[in-house]
Amino acid sequence: MALSVNVSVEAAQEYQVQEITYDGQEIYTQPLSMSENLTKLAHKIDFGKVDDDDSQDHLESTPNFCGEEQKELVTFQPSLWPWDSVRTKLRSALTEISVLVDVLNIAKEKRYMVLDPVSQDPPEVKNVAILVAKKKGLVSAAAIIQKGAERLRISQAEGKNRSLSDFHLELLNMRQKWRLRKQGSLILGDLSYRSVGSRFWQNGTYEVTKSEQPNTTVTSLSPGGPQVPRPSALKVTLPSELEGNSYIHVVIQKDTETIAAGDFTSPFISPIHSDSHWMNKLEGAQNVLFCKELFSQLAREAVQLQPSIPNLVVGNQITASLFPGVQLCFSLCHLTAQDKSKATILPAPLENKAVLEHSLYQLLREHHHQNIHLPTPHPVTGTLGVSKRRQIAGPEALDRHTLMESCKTNTWLEQIIEQTQHTILRLRTMYIIDTYASENKDPLIVAHWASLSSPTCSSVKINIMTHGYETIYRTPLVIHVERKTLKAVCRDGRVMNLSYEPQELTYLLMSQVSQHQVNAVQCLAKVMGWKVLSSSSHVGVGPVEPIGNASSVVMASSTGDRVIAIRCGPQTDIQVSVSSSPQEQDFYPSTLVRDRKWQNLSGSFREVALEKMEGKNFLNKMENLMACLTTC
Amino acid sequence: MSQQKTLSQNKEALLKSYNKRMKDDIKSMVDNFIEIIKLARVPQDEDSQVLRPLQNNQDQYEMHVRACNVVRAGECLMKLISDIKQYLVLNDFPSINEAISQNTRFDKNMQNECDSRLCLLRDDVASELYELEEEYYSSAYK
Repeated sequence: MALSVNVSVEAAQEYQVQEITYDGQEIYTQPLSMSENLTKLAHKIDFGKVDDDDSQDHLESTPNFCGEEQKELVTFQPSLWPWDSVRTKLRSALTEISVLVDVLNIAKEKRYMVLDPVSQDPPEVKNVAILVAKKKGLVSAAAIIQKGAERLRISQAEGKNRSLSDFHLELLNMRQKWRLRKQGSLILGDLSYRSVGSRFWQNGTYEVTKSEQPNTTVTSLSPGGPQVPRPSALKVTLPSELEGNSYIHVVIQKDTETIAAGDFTSPFISPIHSDSHWMNKLEGAQNVLFCKELFSQLAREAVQLQPSIPNLVVGNQITASLFPGVQLCFSLCHLTAQDKSKATILPAPLENKAVLEHSLYQLLREHHHQNIHLPTPHPVTGTLGVSKRRQIAGPEALDRHTLMESCKTNTWLEQIIEQTQHTILRLRTMYIIDTYASENKDPLIVAHWASLSSPTCSSVKINIMTHGYETIYRTPLVIHVERKTLKAVCRDGRVMNLSYEPQELTYLLMSQVSQHQVNAVQCLAKVMGWKVLSSSSHVGVGPVEPIGNASSVVMASSTGDRVIAIRCGPQTDIQVSVSSSPQEQDFYPSTLVRDRKWQNLSGSFREVALEKMEGKNFLNKMENLMACLTTC
Repeated sequence: MSQQKTLSQNKEALLKSYNKRMKDDIKSMVDNFIEIIKLARVPQDEDSQVLRPLQNNQDQYEMHVRACNVVRAGECLMKLISDIKQYLVLNDFPSINEAISQNTRFDKNMQNECDSRLCLLRDDVASELYELEEEYYSSAYK
């Protein structure tokens, strides 16, 4: 090993040249001390840099078989484990910490390792840098506050600029018209009729929320276009069974074919859309509730009542019989927005009786009113809710029967049935009078319906008179139409009770007309100077009338030489016969009557062919007849 | 009676809580703002334990958080205003009663007006109808 030469490698003992001045003098930099060198080198290490190879090495070096296996698994199926990177970082961090702990432990022993403080220049405190940093912080803080303020400002200006109206203003509006209360964080409303006396089981609670409508409609609006109503800021959430609109359909059925179909829907009402105003929605829902209450009460009564023909309650229909062959049918129609398409294809059912529907609503309103408007007890200490009639029952010493009678009230169904019966009867009466008046032109029949009437009573005044002779004679007749009967008051004050059968009224009118003719002729006779010899409104002789009695009158002229006999029956035509006292025929003496003087006796009656006579009507013809028979 | 008492107590508590919320929010706004201003001061003497850049970062974060607190307090105040408005709208019974009576008055007036008009109309129609009936039943065409 003679050739072996020790080669020492060390840094040159020369210092690095820092600067060469113009005069050639070199200025050397001072060599770094050991610790300074270390610090310099340590500064070169980028602790922030993530070294993947490094971590890989660490991982491979760790004697953890499980980790090894998992690592392999991960390399083969990296996509299966999304937390892989996190696991890797955690593992490397663990390694670092372990190393740090080890170093600290060794350093604590002070046998193998000593920690020397690195003498380093204290970092230069630059006030400008701090100022810049502070400024930056303040600017970002100001930006946050400004952004927040901007948001508040936008939400403030929302009510004026946005298409939605102000929530609280709308709420105030609603509060003034509907019952609202706050429960927890919810605003609940109540649209039931409880506060006005309803005792229906169903509650009408709804929820009011702020509507979160997107502000898209504003941009599409043209400034010159029509004013579109602003969508409301309130959103109303109703229970599903109260949505839509409903009403009670009242129908009078004549035939028995369509009784109680049970699934009646009507296309008459327009359903409420889901995007309509809350006012319409609430009103619709309240109406639904009202109709339901009414219908349930009617259905209950229909089942409880025991009429001779039982009432039918099927589905949403109640059928009650009024007269033989005539039924009253109530249907509860409830239409929601979903049903609209279904309803439009249905054929139009029978006409709704709006007046009866209104009376039904009135009944329920009255019931509500009665529930909360109890009469004041007379001694103020008395029981509340006793009716006036029962209060006076004691002082008046009413017996049990009267008391029971006074306590009895009609159910709604009975009341509405009565009203309907009256309606039908009134229409029938009207029809009979009109048809009879159009069939009989000779005495005119003029009917005047009274404008004042009650739901179960109305009246009609009938005048029977002859055209052109109105002032001479007229027969008045008043007919009161009640629930199931008619009451006719005649000219002479007689009262006749008629049933609901239409024929009876026709007969009455017929007999009145026939009597009118006879009475009118009598009055005419007075004017013409004729004398009424006899008159009878119920003639016992002659052919028997099928209905009623014929009336008759016999009149003589002022000189007594002419006699007219008139017979008028309700169904037979008027018969007029004339007899003259000097018989006008040529006299031929016979064995029985030899002298002409016997001609002066009144002869036999001869019938006048009225249809061939001149004259517009019967009285006119009679006037003509009397005029030509009068001898001066 | 006791129910009424508890009701009024509840109301009292609610109003107090509204008051407290308002004061708290305003206080938080002011406090946070003052703290931000305090943080803006550039320290002259070196007395902090931590290094300067660290301190700077910490200050920046604190400013952030405090600014957010100020904004949050503002939002809370808005919410409080909305709550108070709602409470007033829902529980201001005198004005509601007044509105109800006003509505009632209006509706009653309307009803009376409608009634009188209907009555007039009915009278007119009745008299017209009388003549029309007279005419109709006297005519040959019926």
